[in-house]
Parts: sequence; C-alpha cells; structure tokens
Amino acid sequence: MPTSPSSVDAARAELCALGARGEGGRAALRRFSDCVDDLLRRLFAEAPATTNPSLIVALGGYGRRQLCLHSDIDVLLLFDGPIGATEEGRVRSILHPLWDLRFSVGHQIRQIDDFAELEIDNPEFLLALLDARAVAGDATLLERIVAQVRTPAAHARILNALTSLIDERHARFNDTFYQLEPDVKDAPGALRDLWAARTIAALTDPALLDRGPADRTRLDDAEEFLLRLRSILHVQHKRNKNDLNHEIQEPVATVMGYDGAPRQQVERLMGDYFRHARAVSRTLRWVRQAAPVPVAVNLVQSRDGIRFVNIADADAHPESWLSLFQAAIDMGAPVADDTLTWIQQRVDRWPPEAFFPGAAERDGLLAFLRPRAGLYARLSEMHDCGLLGRMFPEFQAIFCRVVRDFYHKYTVDEHTLLTIRNLERLTTRAVKSRERFSTLIADLAHPELLVLSLLFHDVGKWRDDDHAEESVRMAMAVMQRLQFPEDSIALVDFLIRHHVRMSLIAFRRDTEDPEIVRQLADLVGTEERLKMLCLLTLVDVEAVNPETLTPWREELLWRLYVDTYNHLTLEYADERIEHLEAGLHAVIAGRPADVTEAEITRFAEGLPRRYLQLFPHDAIYRHVRLSRDIRPDDVHANLERKASWWELTVVTLDKQYLFSNICGALSSFGMDITRGHAMTNPNGLVLDVVQFTDQERFLELNATGHETFLDVLGSIIAGAIDVTERLRLREQSVLYRRRGGVTTMPPAIHADNHSSRRYTILDIVANNALGLLHRVSRVISRHGCDVDLVLISTEGQKAIDVFHITKAGAKLTEPAIAELTADLHPMLEA
Amino acid sequence: MKLIKAIVRPNKVDDVREALGRVSLPGMTVTEVRGHGKQKGHTAIYRGKEYDVSLLPKMQIEVVVPDNLVDDAVAAIIQAARTGEIGDGRVFVIPVEQSYRIRTGERSEM
Repeated sequence: MPTSPSSVDAARAELCALGARGEGGRAALRRFSDCVDDLLRRLFAEAPATTNPSLIVALGGYGRRQLCLHSDIDVLLLFDGPIGATEEGRVRSILHPLWDLRFSVGHQIRQIDDFAELEIDNPEFLLALLDARAVAGDATLLERIVAQVRTPAAHARILNALTSLIDERHARFNDTFYQLEPDVKDAPGALRDLWAARTIAALTDPALLDRGPADRTRLDDAEEFLLRLRSILHVQHKRNKNDLNHEIQEPVATVMGYDGAPRQQVERLMGDYFRHARAVSRTLRWVRQAAPVPVAVNLVQSRDGIRFVNIADADAHPESWLSLFQAAIDMGAPVADDTLTWIQQRVDRWPPEAFFPGAAERDGLLAFLRPRAGLYARLSEMHDCGLLGRMFPEFQAIFCRVVRDFYHKYTVDEHTLLTIRNLERLTTRAVKSRERFSTLIADLAHPELLVLSLLFHDVGKWRDDDHAEESVRMAMAVMQRLQFPEDSIALVDFLIRHHVRMSLIAFRRDTEDPEIVRQLADLVGTEERLKMLCLLTLVDVEAVNPETLTPWREELLWRLYVDTYNHLTLEYADERIEHLEAGLHAVIAGRPADVTEAEITRFAEGLPRRYLQLFPHDAIYRHVRLSRDIRPDDVHANLERKASWWELTVVTLDKQYLFSNICGALSSFGMDITRGHAMTNPNGLVLDVVQFTDQERFLELNATGHETFLDVLGSIIAGAIDVTERLRLREQSVLYRRRGGVTTMPPAIHADNHSSRRYTILDIVANNALGLLHRVSRVISRHGCDVDLVLISTEGQKAIDVFHITKAGAKLTEPAIAELTADLHPMLEA
Repeated sequence: MKLIKAIVRPNKVDDVREALGRVSLPGMTVTEVRGHGKQKGHTAIYRGKEYDVSLLPKMQIEVVVPDNLVDDAVAAIIQAARTGEIGDGRVFVIPVEQSYRIRTGERSEM
C-alpha cells in the first residue's frame, strides 16, 4: 500500500512522468487519487480516536477521482458531534502529514449539525457535495447530508447557482471558446463546462447527454484530451496553472505527438482543442436549454412533460409513481410519453398494495383527487398506461366495459372518468348557468371524497344486475385496503349507494310535493351530503352523453337541491331527538364502557335530530363526556387539530352572549371560523362545535397555545375578559390590516317566519370578516333574542350563517324582525 | 284528425305514455319546456337571497289522433296527469288538415 512518504513521492513521480509523456489522462489521475485515498485511510486509522464518529469526504476533482499533479486536495472532515480538543487533535494528525508531503489541502472541518440548515447561500459548497465521496470513516454521515441535497428545492438552487457561475466564468473569457491561449480548466468549452453539462444532466435528466449534439463517447474523448493537456501543463508550469499559452504550446504539441514543423504542430494541437471545445460548448448549451426543471423528489419537468430523474429509484419504489401525476397536475403539464410507456412495461410486476403501503400514500391519493384542472387528463393517462387498473383492480373490472342502452354513449370506464372531468370543469370554467353548482364545490370540506366516489360509482357495472350495491361492495374493498377512516368510508358508501337517487327524484318524481323533498332531506341528513349528491348527479348525468343534461334538467335538479337545502336548514330545529328513537338507540347500543345510557339520554334528547347524522358515534361519546358534571359557571371545552383546520367543541349551560363570546374569543386570536353548529337541548345545555383555520399559526407555534386559548375562552364566557376590547385591539394589528377586510359584496339578510314551526330563521350572507359572527350574534342577543341553533358555513370569501332564534320562547313578531334587521344591516355594511 | 298538445308535470310523462298506450295510441313526441299558466311560479329563497322561479319546468306531449279517438285520448291524458293541485297542466286539441309520412311521401289518413 503506497502510503508512506516515499510511496506518495513515487506516485507523484509516476504521475509527473505520465504527464510529461502526454499520458496523464483519466486512468493516471484515478491511480493518483487512489494513492491519496490510501494515504488518508492510513492517517485516519492512525489518528487519535474520538468518541464521535467521523469521516473524511473527498470533494471536487478529488471526489471525481481526477486529482491532477498540483491540484488542491479538497476534503471535508466531518464529525457526528461537537468538535473539542480530542477532535482537533485528530484533525491535526490527518492534515499535518499532508502538508508535510507538500500537498495543497482545501479543507473544511464541520460537525454534522452544521448541516441542519443546508447552506443555500454557499452554492459552490452544494456543487462540491454533488461529487462528494466517502474516503475513510463512517460513510452514513455523508449519506445524511446528501439526503438533504436530494430535494427539488435544493436541486433548483444548485442549478441556479451553477448557471450563474457558468455565466460569470464565460464572461471572463468574453463568452467565446475560440481562445488563442485557453485555460483548459476554466475557459468556455473546457473541463469545467464539461463537468457542468454532466452535473445538469445528472440533476435533471441523465438521458439528455444521449440526445445532445455530442454523444457520451465524444464527451469522454474531449475529457481525456483536456485532462492530458492539463497534466502536461501542471508538469511544465510546475504548479496548479492551466493556461495553454503561446510559449508552452510548442512543447505541449510535441508531447502530445503532433507531427510536422513547430507551427504545424501547434495548429494541429489547437485545431483538436477547438474541436473538443466546440463539442463541449455545444453540449453545455443544449443541456442548459433542454434541461428539465426539478419539480418534486426524483421528478423533473421537461419539454414533453413530467418524468423521473433516477429511473432505478423509481423502479424500486412504485409508491412514488402517483407523485408523477400529482406533479403533472401541479405544473399543468402531461406526463412524458416515454415515462408512461415505462410504467406500462413495469406496472404488472406490482400488486395493488405496493402503490399504497401506508397512510402517507393514502393521503397522497386524496390530495391528488382534489377536483381541479388536469385531473381528468392525468387519470386518463394513468388508465391508458394500466396504472389506474393496477392500483385498483376494482376499476379495471370496467375496462372498456360496454353497457348497451338507449342513453350511454361511452364505455363505462370512460363515462366514469368523464364524470370527474365534468366536476373538474365546474372548478375551472366560468359558465354562467353552472355558477350555482360551482359554488357548491367551494363549500365542500372533502371534495376529494366526491371524486373517489365518482371513480368507483359504476364499477359494479362489470355485472349486468343492480350495479349500485356491487359498486359499494367493491369501493369498500378499496377503502378498507387503504385503511380509510370510518367517516370517509361511510360517506363514500352513502354517495355510491344512492348515486342515482337524486336524478330519479328530480326527473321522475313530483318535486313540488313537500313529502318528496322531506324524504330526500331525511336520506341525505346533512347539507354536505346533499351538496355532494347533487354534484355527483349533475356530473353523472352529463357524462351519459352530450345531450343528456339539458338546461331544463339542470333547472329541475337545482330546484330540488334548493328545496331540500331549505328543508334541511330552515326546518332543522323543528325535529328533535325523542326518547329512545332508533338513531339514539344505536348510539346507546354501541357505547363504550365508560359512558352510561342515562348520560347519553340526558345529553342528546331534545337536541335537533340531525345531530345524530352530523356526528359519528365516537364524537357523540366525546360530547357526552364533556357534558359530565357541568355546573352553571363551567365551560367544558376541547380543542382538536383536524387535517388543515381545528375544531373547538364547547359544552356549557346557556348564558347570555354565549355564542357571541365563543366566536369573539376565536376571532380575537385571529382564527377564521369556516363552519360549525351550535345547538341547545331543552335543559339549557349548549353544544357548540366550531371549525376554524388558525391562519397565524398561534396554536402550532405556541407550546402552551391550547391552554392559553381555553383559559381566555373560559374568562371571556365568564365575563372576566372583555372580548370586544380584545377584538378592537386585534382589528388594529398589522396582521389583521394585512389580511384586509374589503367588502366585495353587499350583505343579505332574509328573515323567515314560516319555514319553522318554532323559530324565526335569520339567513345572513355577508363578506367573511374578522369577528363577523361575534358581532351578528351580539346584536341578536342585544335584542333579547335567544339563539337556539346556528349553522355556519363559508363559501370562498362569503360567510353564510343561519340563526334559529326566539324571543321570550316564541317566534319574533314582524316589528321585532324589522327592528333587528334594521340594526344588523348597518353593522354588516360597516 | 287532431293534434293533442298536453303540458304536464315532468314526472307524469311515463303515466301519460302508458295511458295513451292503453287506448291504442303508442306514438308521441315529448319536449322539455318551461312556462307558467295559473300557477305562476314563485320566488324561492336560497341562502338568504331571492331568485326567480316563475318559469316552471314542464313536459309537452304531442300526439296526432283520429277524430274518433280524441275524447279517449284526452280523457286518458287528464286521468294520468292529474294530481288535483295547481300546476297539473293543460291539454289543447288542434285540428290537423293533412299528414304525410316522410319516408314514403304518402299521405296518411290515420
């Protein structure tokens, strides 16, 4: 092992001799690099031990195993822990011998925690990391750092930095490779350009080099030629100097073996140099122009679409394939044709489970299915290359399935995908007549579950009999395989099971009959399900054939929706949970051991009947627990993080300004209330469930945010804190002013004294603003009205709130309504 | 020979078709229409806002019948389309002078 000083001298002498003969190309440089590797390994082994694992990393040209005679040895000495006296001793034991051996060392000494934040302001270091190579020690340390560089964001920064460095370097040479005295390392068309072209291709699309103006062999030839020149120059200059100047061109030409008179030799040498420089230069230009843009992990966007960068990595990880189509939607591009072909050739190797091994992949599917531009096109690509059918054999069952009837114009699979296209168009196309349906999508909490339902609503058509039941069975198999939560499963089950119900009623029943509307309201139970079923019906009918969904049918469907929606929201409070009715009985039967029948009955009886449809059993048991031992001054509250929002549940006994105070407390923390329900039972027990977004991330950023919020909420309800003052301060804050509260639509108040037997209903639509619910409910309370039920929803920037109110236990008189709305109007317009 | 034009509730079309079939009148033309008669529609409220629903969706059924079947046909339509509520629709009986079969060009006497 040539690791003694004399061995290093021998290796150096060998490279010097090879260089002087014009043979200092790749092989010679590699041998010299290997010699230095051996030396470093010995020094590492002999250095004083440390408790911290450590590593020597080769960087730059040394990392590429192209260490020239007088090049710097660029190394990174890495420690997995703090660098103290022992570590410094170890560093000295490694570096001092190198200096003694007359090596020029470019060294960095770092601990791994230094890389917790990648050095985005040091692009040259990021670039050096791309050629990094573990030489001696614990190689996992390097893997940990490199993993941080393998992100689209880091790749994008590296590419930007590399582009800037190339431009700056070329500017120094007046942007031409036709240099009479070229620098064989830095000049345009020289070694740095060649490495840059390879780096860009490696980070974006390795196949770029195969499609460029010079093939890989041609580039290898250029590299060999330039390295041989560089080795000669190091020998001739006796230092790290790479200028092929006039004085040195003649001896270099001789060493390189060119024949003829000195002038002819030089002309031949420079002729070959320019030929190689042109190939490198054109390749770099091509790579820079054609290089795809990194868009996600292992994904780039090229001219023909989204593709994988590292095919071998993609081949080993089928769970990453959906991200290809997700990125395509995000970037508004197709998936590249050759990538689709690649998937088609490999997709049958994997079972369905391989694509969704865990919750992260399932959630990725849901994010992908969000209705938006491009979803249909990408699903069609997935279907065409066989991926959709492989992920979901249930969907494959309707591949090109023909159902012969008078109406359907497409195969079942295409009909299914067209339903999703129609939904997507509701989100993207501004068609006046469809605006009313488009607004329903904006209001949905889980539009992706509607798309999931559409995807499987007709899979049962692989059989010829009643398909809805079979579709439900097959969809449930999918959902259980992917381990969806119970409430999602119940929702998809409902939508698929009843997917023809609303069209049947709208087009074949007397929708002016209130009983028909009531039956539909009972079936759907909640506005959310009604909206989803309505949208599903619309897009399903439209996908049958281009003539099916006439404006006349649209109108029928919309009227049925409106009548049912009004039934649900306006008569909501009239129907109350009665003693031991079926729904309540099921809650009691399935109760956990710590909840008694009496507790459930006491809590739920007298609440609006729809309470049982709005909340899953688990949530009901949580509400019952919250209601335990409640005394007049108690406020039992729970704060829970959901997907992208939070949910506040409050159980307390009714008191003045209660609802107003809860809303005010939330607004005073900058929370945006998006939906919710407030309801009261006959014993005065109030249940408020409010969903909100924490736009300022108060709860996320503050470790004690939960406790602080609940403390403030309790104090506000108890009257110990003035919520109006807190809101006033909030409205003056910079954060609020930045978010703005510009009124974009005139508010609308509709008071209805007819729809409900017990309540006056105030339907308020206004621009969503901080503290809106607080102010509205405060005005209502100030007029002596009791708020028994509130339905809160938002539609984009529009707040839609329905209050069921009474005054002294009865509906409001017409003069009282007039006074109340007269007070509300200026407040909403303010 | 008469043209019977009936404006009926959308959900009554199937019942009317069956009723006409029972009096040996299998052919008919059905058109989706919107309009109002005595039942002038109403103003609906959706999310606190009023919107006009004065033109109601109806189905128009057209059938040409020999003079001797007009009464049976009208009776069948009325019986099938009736609910007793406002909005059940109207039946018009219109004289038809001539009828031709397009495929053959021959005059049809029904």
